[in-house]
Amino acid sequence: MGGFKLGKMTLGSMFKKPETIMYPIEKKTPPAGLKGHIVNDVDHCILCGICEKRCPCSAITVDKPSRIWSIDRFRCVQCGSCVRACPKDCLTMDPAYTPPALQKHVDEFEVPEQPNTSKREKPVEVVDEA
Amino acid sequence: MGKATVIPFGPQHPVLPEPLHLDLVVEDETVIEAIPQIGFIHRGLEKLVETRDYNQFIYVAERICGICAFGHSMGYAETVERLMGVQIPERAEYLRVIWHELSRIHSHVLWMGLAADAFGFESLFMHCWRLRERVLDIFEKTTGGRVIFSVVQVGGVVRDIDDAQLAEMKRVLEGIKDDYRQICNAFLKDSSVKNRTVGVGCISHEDALAMSMVGPFARASNVNNDARCLGNGGYGKLADFQPVLDAQGDCYARVKVRALEVLQSIDIIEEMISKIPAGDIAVPVKGAPAAGAETANLVEQPRGECYYYARGNGSKFLERMRMRTPTSQNLAGMATALAGCDLADVNMIVLTIDPCISCTER
Amino acid sequence: MAFAIKFAPLTVEELPALAAAKKADGWRFVQMLCVNTEDGIDMIYSFMKDDLLENHEIKGVQKGTAIPSITGEFLEAFVFENESHDLFGVDITDIAIDFGGNFYALAQKEPMTVISPEQQAAREKAKKLAAAKAAKEKAAGEQAPKTADDAAALEAKLAGMDPVKAAKVRAAMEAKAKKEAAAKQAAVDEKVAGLDPEKAAKVKAALEAKAAREAAKKKAAEAEADEAGAAAEEEGE
Repeated sequence: MGGFKLGKMTLGSMFKKPETIMYPIEKKTPPAGLKGHIVNDVDHCILCGICEKRCPCSAITVDKPSRIWSIDRFRCVQCGSCVRACPKDCLTMDPAYTPPALQKHVDEFEVPEQPNTSKREKPVEVVDEA
Repeated sequence: MGKATVIPFGPQHPVLPEPLHLDLVVEDETVIEAIPQIGFIHRGLEKLVETRDYNQFIYVAERICGICAFGHSMGYAETVERLMGVQIPERAEYLRVIWHELSRIHSHVLWMGLAADAFGFESLFMHCWRLRERVLDIFEKTTGGRVIFSVVQVGGVVRDIDDAQLAEMKRVLEGIKDDYRQICNAFLKDSSVKNRTVGVGCISHEDALAMSMVGPFARASNVNNDARCLGNGGYGKLADFQPVLDAQGDCYARVKVRALEVLQSIDIIEEMISKIPAGDIAVPVKGAPAAGAETANLVEQPRGECYYYARGNGSKFLERMRMRTPTSQNLAGMATALAGCDLADVNMIVLTIDPCISCTER
Repeated sequence: MAFAIKFAPLTVEELPALAAAKKADGWRFVQMLCVNTEDGIDMIYSFMKDDLLENHEIKGVQKGTAIPSITGEFLEAFVFENESHDLFGVDITDIAIDFGGNFYALAQKEPMTVISPEQQAAREKAKKLAAAKAAKEKAAGEQAPKTADDAAALEAKLAGMDPVKAAKVRAAMEAKAKKEAAAKQAAVDEKVAGLDPEKAAKVKAALEAKAAREAAKKKAAEAEADEAGAAAEEEGE
């Protein structure tokens, strides 16, 4: 019994380095593989539409005739299903979070015509890009 | 005796993170009866199973609750695997247990912080959440998410934890253990904490049995219905598992059970890390559940046992998916615990059942 | 300890006696759930003792059937009973804490009994798949009279619809088949493109042969189904 059981810890924290960081000035390095946002390497994309089919929240739309691959980042839940389903490995998960925005918008990417249909080499491991 | 008055408690109340409404019938300062009501945030997630195939629904299941997110995705995946007769690799079972126990630690430490906040011990609250942050950092490194992980898939897990990360996890947990013991000391020995919790909201062993209570709430009344004892998945590989029990049945006993379960979870993770086999982390799952096939499953989540039911209809979409969450089972027990308590203790008792209303309503 | 799950049938009349027996035996109530099916609502009551989880299933409860509450034995069931009433419209009598339909704040009454178009499509697709499977079995020499019935049922359904709608459905089905064929072709082309020319030609030939075989099989099955359907229709008339 008796009070002040937390005293040691509380007093100790006066002399320790703070647990928090000064956020906007100082930023944490995102660990590799953090679910930030989906990036499409359009040079290898074949617009097969598998990502669109696998997406649980219909965030991706593939328009084959006009060669547009678009993603609604406000619908995307970063589950990574599309990354795993991509037959050409052109989709990757980037560790940087999408910046806040005032208005909802859809990111569109034009996929160039390419004769190169070889499979893209799988990225070794996502490097910190903070 | 004074006249009976009805005081509404919630759905908006400083102690409640989620909307739960109680009609408290009060005579003087004593609560005579409490009638719980939920239903403010029904989202119809069970209905969504009809428009998402069984692989996609895992991401919906995770979003039932922010704190038991991993537990729900694991419980759902286990249920579908049982429905389709899939045997997942052993390494995936171990990884699931590791993540599940980590989320138990983070849930219990979060709850202890909230409890400290409820009885006005602000610095204890801060220290609890400081420790929880380290667990969240482990999640961030191993899964890529802090709250919603999306690492489970039907047939296994999608990410492996390599040996370096496992060693790092072990080291961080050792560090947490030291700090955590001091916090435990404050929770279990400090007189100001004891004044608020000892002898408050007692539930006898018989009542707990009669109300079919689950989780730490029941274990504090010496009722063992810990679903981990059933040995599903990786839990069957534990050398020895003894649930934490306490016989007092008051708020103090519930704090104690949760406090000791954190240490137990750390031990489980360490055992799992030392025993984890090498191998695949997922098996491919093809086909669809047969029409009319049905199965049930139990998973011990931080708040108690969770029941899953699935029925197939021969297509990739399930006919019905049902999650019965621990809080809906504990509501009746909570009403019993509230009867006869002091009005000032209501928030403490409500908090000790660790209500999760989003889970309950889905 | 080994976890065991059991499913057992139950009737509405037996429910109070079952609840009383379970209570007397020291079982604990786990949950109660409803499933909306084509022939009524299935209600499942689960009880547990030690490692045995028993699920008692009342099949096909029709609207308006009064279900006795089990809150007299297990108070904690009030959550589930109110929920079934609000979401499925099951009429449960004498609930200990009865909210009278105000348990959940809902925009629509009995939302879980609404059959969404997606669910309808999934069910029909599953039926078709089952029918196709049965037809295959039949083709293999086994007796499967169910196929004909299913095909006939589909035909009858189409006949029952107004002609414009039926035509639309048929057109949609055809379009889908065409689209699928096109997709298949595309997939084949893609596969072939990555290979060296000699091998590609071989693969192409093999794939084409396979497609031809499949088409022949399908045609045979269809012809059979059509015949059966026509026969059924004649009988019906």
